[in-house]
Amino acid sequence: MTLVNVDKSVSAVKESPFSKFKSRWKAKLTVSGGLIYLGLLLFAFIILYPLYWMFISSFKSYDEIYNNVWSLPQVWHFENYTTAWSKGISSYFVNSLFVTISTIILVVLIGSMAAFVLSRYRTKWIDIALIFMIGGLMMNPQVALIPLFEILSWANLINTHWALILSYVAFRLPLTIILIRAFFLSVPKELEESAIIDGCSEIGIYLRIYLPLSIPILITAVVLTAYFAWNEFMFATVFIDSTDLKTIPSGLMSFKDALRTDWGVLLAGMVIATIPMIILLIVLQKYLVRGLSEGSVKG
Amino acid sequence: MKKTYWLLFSLLVVGILLGACSNEDEAQGAEGDVVEIDFFHRWPNEPRKSFYDDKIKEFEAANPGVKINVDQVLNDSYKEKIRVLVSNDELPDIFTSWSDSFAENLVSSGRIMELNDILSDDTEWSGEVLESQFGGFTFDDVTYGVPFTVDGKAFFYNKEIFEKNNLEVPQTYEQFIKALDELQAAGYETPLVEGLTNTWAISHYLGTIFQRVVDPAVLEKDYAAKTGEFTDKGYVRGLEIWKELTSYMGDVSTAIDHEAARNMFAAGEIPVLYMQFAEVKMVQDASDFEFGFFNFPEVEGGKGDQKALTGAPEGWMLSKNAPPEAVEFLKFLTSAETAKEFTTVDGQLNAINGGVTEETSNPTSLEAYDIILNASATAPWFDNAVDINVADVFMRGGQDIATGVKTPEDVLQEVQEAAKKLH
Amino acid sequence: MILKRIKIIPVLFLLPSLLFLGVFVYIPLIQNFYNSFFDFSVFSQSKEFVGFKHFIELFNDKVIVIALINNIKYAVISVIFQVFFALVLASILEDRLFRKFAPALRVIYFIPVMVSISVIALLFSFIYNPQMGLLNSFLELIHLEELAKPWLGNAETAIYSVIAMSQWQSIGFITMLFIVAIQKIPKELYEAAEIDGAGKVRNFFSITVPQVKETMFVNVLITVTGSILVFNEPYILTNGGPGVSSMTLSVHMYQLGFFKDNMGYASAVATLIFMLSAIFAITQIRISGTGKDD
Repeated sequence: MTLVNVDKSVSAVKESPFSKFKSRWKAKLTVSGGLIYLGLLLFAFIILYPLYWMFISSFKSYDEIYNNVWSLPQVWHFENYTTAWSKGISSYFVNSLFVTISTIILVVLIGSMAAFVLSRYRTKWIDIALIFMIGGLMMNPQVALIPLFEILSWANLINTHWALILSYVAFRLPLTIILIRAFFLSVPKELEESAIIDGCSEIGIYLRIYLPLSIPILITAVVLTAYFAWNEFMFATVFIDSTDLKTIPSGLMSFKDALRTDWGVLLAGMVIATIPMIILLIVLQKYLVRGLSEGSVKG
Repeated sequence: MKKTYWLLFSLLVVGILLGACSNEDEAQGAEGDVVEIDFFHRWPNEPRKSFYDDKIKEFEAANPGVKINVDQVLNDSYKEKIRVLVSNDELPDIFTSWSDSFAENLVSSGRIMELNDILSDDTEWSGEVLESQFGGFTFDDVTYGVPFTVDGKAFFYNKEIFEKNNLEVPQTYEQFIKALDELQAAGYETPLVEGLTNTWAISHYLGTIFQRVVDPAVLEKDYAAKTGEFTDKGYVRGLEIWKELTSYMGDVSTAIDHEAARNMFAAGEIPVLYMQFAEVKMVQDASDFEFGFFNFPEVEGGKGDQKALTGAPEGWMLSKNAPPEAVEFLKFLTSAETAKEFTTVDGQLNAINGGVTEETSNPTSLEAYDIILNASATAPWFDNAVDINVADVFMRGGQDIATGVKTPEDVLQEVQEAAKKLH
Repeated sequence: MILKRIKIIPVLFLLPSLLFLGVFVYIPLIQNFYNSFFDFSVFSQSKEFVGFKHFIELFNDKVIVIALINNIKYAVISVIFQVFFALVLASILEDRLFRKFAPALRVIYFIPVMVSISVIALLFSFIYNPQMGLLNSFLELIHLEELAKPWLGNAETAIYSVIAMSQWQSIGFITMLFIVAIQKIPKELYEAAEIDGAGKVRNFFSITVPQVKETMFVNVLITVTGSILVFNEPYILTNGGPGVSSMTLSVHMYQLGFFKDNMGYASAVATLIFMLSAIFAITQIRISGTGKDD
């Protein structure tokens, strides 16, 4: 996969490839077209309505959620949000933020370093290392769960954020390395040569040429990592018991238990947990698409 | 040029490594002559979390030089966590524990502090703790825990509905079924509900039912992992009773949790629900009718104890390595003053003399308190009493019986297989 | 001098990644395999060697059979919805007729992918709630009360309800992958077909499907692997219940290990999961050619 290829696919997401036939085909909007259109809208409705319901109900009182499933709240309980925030979501939020950002920094730094070497050298050992990294894609967290629990207990890391960060980094590295390496391969050799003439060392080439050039793909890596670390549930549940250390996904479950039936507050907490990712999706949409197109692997 | 990059790079690496280590450094750093007490409980939920947070502040203010580190996790995770801690010899200085088999397991690690001397040295304090509640924490005449909360499981019934339909409190299982039938006839389609998605709720039922129908000697043998067989006919009878009871619970019970069931009771939608006394206050807060209790009724022809009450106290334990300040904190937590405040704030009954009075409680809770104090015997929670592998088969089997997927015989056979594996 | 530097930097740059993968991915894998031959609990450091006992137990465990069947149901339904339906959806969205709305719809369909699984599962527990749930209320609204059920409490519907939620969440993701693939198809193919007067349905089968065959294969493997591993959805929604009717392999493994404290046997179940998923993962890496694109 080349750089050119990537750019084409990204821009193509915005512009349909068929634009020049537009006028000729417009007349053909038939009955079946209309039906399909209706189907698309219906599907969008099925996707959106539960989320809309979650948002609206997060302003309701328990009685209203229970008795008036469909209606708008009679009184808008904005305080559900302040309650959710003060009753735990704030600390889960901060924990998630810390874990996510630490994971991102480590994954991007370590991953790009490895990708740099893997894209610039060709020896038997480098090939073996490459296979080692790619092989990591095959491994899954479920299988590693129990041994990781043992290793982390042994290292006294259970019930610390590092238990999550270190495992997240390890499981995100293969995909990140493959993504960044593919991009690094397309960096023109001439740039590098001129840099060597300028007296740059290897590290200089990495820091001054490769990293700045590959900011778009680094952002893609950041988005994919952020999405994973923010939403990961299984490790977060098993490795962290302490309520004060939980991240949002596992924290929501104890939040639910702790609240008893304060459903409005629970829903408010769910909305708070969701908003950052939706914003990230809208802002960085194209980088995400690029990641999907480049990686073509599970997210 | 090159050197700058190297420097930057190494700084980065060192920074990361330092970052990775700083957490532990903090935990190990001793600060002057401050004594730190690690305190671990299982109530991250309100009102109890705030109650204990306040108590910690109070104790710290009264004892300068003591710092209490608190941590809390809920129920099942608590069980798991405390077991891990005990095996790694990392027990917190003071922590909460259930009685009976749960306590016994912890005690068998040899890492729990013996309290006999502490209790006898300060009778002014220990004399106020109800003698009857120490049993679950005493093994071979050595006491390892101080009971604090007391609890019991009983059928809560809506007095108004019972009066309106001229129903008496049932004394026997037969009368109970008759009452349920009459309630059904009176329009309560599901006179009894339960949150069957909470498997522990099923275990509470099964534990009590077996208590009624199975010979105590057989129970004792079967509840021990090494000798459990579960071949007694009483278990089939017990599961059949369960099956009969679930027929009054309706479809809805299979998909809700206990909390939802409690809300239905509090809303007056259903007349009877099997609940813990710990829930009295929650029901009171959410309901506007009077309710009463009755113990699980006698089962005619049952070979078990017909009067036993299911429910057990919970209390505090100390690690063997706990500093003397932790003992003071334990006394503080179980003082009459704390107990009064606790029951006023939380509503749950406690084992301290003077902790539950008309002043801190209410007539309904006092009635419950009376039932606990006068129970002929107490039976521990079933999921604490038997090995989890067996309990899980019973609990999931209980769900299957409720949804009609399996018969009592099917379930019992699976139980027997699971029990055999533990020998 | 130069030689020295070249040797040291690759090692230095690769080392962190190799360490991370080694310690947190590969060693656990080997460890898991090793653990399968022992009896041990979370709380004890001692492990007792039991040979193949746990693997034999796998064959006598009725729950494994139920779990495996549920995983297969998961896979089959997911392939139907997430691969075939998503492909149709993607090609419709890429059709110029819907050009105006496609970008917005794409984002909408993708939103659930970004939402945390615990949020989605809690949301769906509201939807499936037998008393006030959206689904039953909706059925009541359109006068189909007799279809209303305690969806998650019924042994027959529980697993399907869980699967349905997964489809709701994941269709957008696979659709996006197909959109990317369709956009890489040379436009000329469609132009030529149009000159021949081919209809859209025919184009779909004669151009789109063959051209995205590789992506389709990869997507099948992604969904199948995902279905073998599925943990979060059934764990949060039903915890495998009622009874064991919605148990999956991963949930079974988790409960054996962390609930019943039977770590050795749980490791054997994990080994089984690994074997199953590795077969598909190897095929996936082969086909997608991630390793040979230089």
